[in-house]
Amino acid sequence: MAATTTPTTTPPAASRTTTSLPGRRRQLAFVYGWLAPILALFAVFSLVPIGIAVWLSLHRYNQLAPVSPFIGLRNFTYAFTDDPAFLNSLAVTGKYALVAVPLNIVLSLAVALALNHITRLRALFRTVFFLPAIASAVAASLVWVPIYDPQAGWLNAVLNLLGLSGKSWLGDPGTALWSVMVTSVWQDLGFNVIVFLAGLQAIPLDFYDVAKVDGAGVVSRFRHVTLPLLQRTFVFVFCLTTIGYLQEFTRIQVMTAGGPLRSSETVVLHIYQRAFGDFQLGYATAMSLILMLIILVIALVQMRILRSRWEY
Amino acid sequence: MASPLTSRVPAASPTPASTSAAARGGRPRRRFGGPGQIVLYVVLSIAAIGFVAPFVLMVSNSLKTAQEIIQVPPSLLPEHPTFANFAFVLQNSPYLIWYRNSLLVAVAVTALTLFTSSIAGYIFAKFAFPGKNVLFVVLLSTMMIPAPVLLIPSYLVMNFLHLLNTLWALVVGSIVSAFGIFLMRQFIAAIPDDLVDAARLDGAGEFAIYWRVILPLTGPALAALGIFTFLGSWNDYLWPLIVINDQDKMVVPLALTYFNSQHAQRSDLVMAAATMAVVPVCVVFLFFQRRIVNAFVLTGIK
Repeated sequence: MAATTTPTTTPPAASRTTTSLPGRRRQLAFVYGWLAPILALFAVFSLVPIGIAVWLSLHRYNQLAPVSPFIGLRNFTYAFTDDPAFLNSLAVTGKYALVAVPLNIVLSLAVALALNHITRLRALFRTVFFLPAIASAVAASLVWVPIYDPQAGWLNAVLNLLGLSGKSWLGDPGTALWSVMVTSVWQDLGFNVIVFLAGLQAIPLDFYDVAKVDGAGVVSRFRHVTLPLLQRTFVFVFCLTTIGYLQEFTRIQVMTAGGPLRSSETVVLHIYQRAFGDFQLGYATAMSLILMLIILVIALVQMRILRSRWEY
Repeated sequence: MASPLTSRVPAASPTPASTSAAARGGRPRRRFGGPGQIVLYVVLSIAAIGFVAPFVLMVSNSLKTAQEIIQVPPSLLPEHPTFANFAFVLQNSPYLIWYRNSLLVAVAVTALTLFTSSIAGYIFAKFAFPGKNVLFVVLLSTMMIPAPVLLIPSYLVMNFLHLLNTLWALVVGSIVSAFGIFLMRQFIAAIPDDLVDAARLDGAGEFAIYWRVILPLTGPALAALGIFTFLGSWNDYLWPLIVINDQDKMVVPLALTYFNSQHAQRSDLVMAAATMAVVPVCVVFLFFQRRIVNAFVLTGIK
C-alpha cells in the first residue's frame, strides 16, 4: 500500500508503523469521518444510478405507466429490430464521428505544428483558436445559426459574391449534419491545439538535430521524430475526441433538433427524445447502455491500434 | 490517462526547450522571419480571422436594428448601431436572474468539488486503511461510464429526493468528482510524507495538517481542477434541460435556447442575448489565460 504513494516510502512507512495507538486511531477517525460523507454522496449520485440504469434497461419502464414488467433483454433486441430511428441515429453518429474526429485532429495538429514553429505572437494566435472553446456549446451554436441562414446568412452572401449559389444549409437533409460538424470542429479545435502544442514542446530539440545530421527532410523528420514521440498525446487526443463526438447532443439539438428528416439525429438526441418526449425511460436507458458498449469497444480498439503502430 | 502529472508537468514546460535552443544559439526556429515563417504567419492569420469571424458577426448582429438584420445581402457592420436589443433582452426576460443562477451553481459546485477532491485525494494518497484499494478502484471505474448512461437514473434519483426543478438538482450530484479525487491523489502523492509526519510530531490535528500543510501545496492542481469544474458547470446544458422547467430557475445555456425559441424570428435579439453570455466569459478567460492553458497542460484533459 505504501508503494502506491511515492517510490521512496521507506522512512515514512517505518515511522507510520511506530505511530502510537491513539495516534493511529485519530488518523482512522479522520479517514473514515471525511471519506464516509464524500463516498456516501458519490454512492447516491454515481453508484446507485448505475444500478438503476441496469434495472431500467431490463424493464418496460414508462414514467406514465402504472406497472413496469420485467422484459429481460427485449429493450435491447427491440432497438436493433424494431426501431429504425435508433439504427438511423447510430449511422448518423458514426458518420459524424468518422468525419469530425479526423478533421479535428488533422486541423488541430496542423495549427499546433504551425504555432510551434513561429517565434512571435504564439500566445495571441493560441488565444484566438482557443476562444470558441470557452463559450458554451449553446452560445456557439446560436452564433452559427444566422451564418447558415438561407436568406440573410453570411455563408450564402460570401458564396454569391464568388458567383456560387447558396443553399439552406441547416434545412437541407444533405448538408445539415455537415454544417453542425463545421461548428463543432470550430469550437473544439482549441482544446486539441493546446494539448498537441504541449506535446510538441516536450520533444527535445536534439532529436531533430540528430535527424538533420542524418539528412532527414522536413517530412521525414515529422514522420520519424514528431509522430512517434507524440504518440501518447495522439492516443489521448484521439480517444477523448472520439468519445466526445459519439455523445454529441447540444449543438445538434440547438442547431437542427435532429432534422430535417432525422438526417442529423444523433444517438444521444434520440435517447433524449425517447426518454423525455415519450417517457420511455427503460428503453432509452437500454439504448444508452448500447452506446456505452460501443464507446468502450471503440476506445479499446483505438488504444490498441495506435499503441501497436508506434510503440518502439 | 496514466500518471498525467508526474510525466506531464516537467515535460510540458516550454522552458527546457527554449533554453537549450538559446544555448546552442542561432537556431533557425528562434529567429524571426525567413520565407517559411512568413508563409506560416499568413496562413495562421487567415485561419485566425476565420476563427474570430463568427464572434464578430455575433456582436455586429446584436447591434443591428430589426430591419437591418433581415436585409439581403447582410451588412458587415451595423449601419445604425443600437443597444436597443440588449435593453429589450434585459427588460423582457429575467436575464440577470439566469446569470445569477449560473454563477451561484458554478461557484457552489466548484468550491465543493475542490474541497471533496482535495481531502479525499489526500486521504487516498497518504493514509493506509482497510478497504482503501477497493474503494479507489470502484471510484476510478466509474470514470469510464459516459454521462448519457447516468442521465435518466440521476433524473429518477432527483425526482425521488424532490429536487427536480430546483437549483439544488444542478449542484448536489456534481460535488463529488471521481476525476477530481484521482487528480488530487496523483498530485498529493508527490508531496513528501516527511512534511505530514513533521506536522504530526509538532502536534497538529489531522484536519489541520490537511488544511494548513497539504492544501497550500496543491495550488496548481486546485487551479486546474477549479477551472475545469467551473467551465463544465457553467456550460452544461443537457442536465439543466432535463431537471429545470421554471423560467426563473434556468441557467444561461438553457435560458439561451429558451429565449431563442421565444424569439425565433428575431436573430438580432438572440445575438444580443448570446453576446451577453459569451463576452463576459471571454473577458474572464483573457485575464486567467495563462492559468487556464496551464491547467490543460497540467491535466492533459479537457
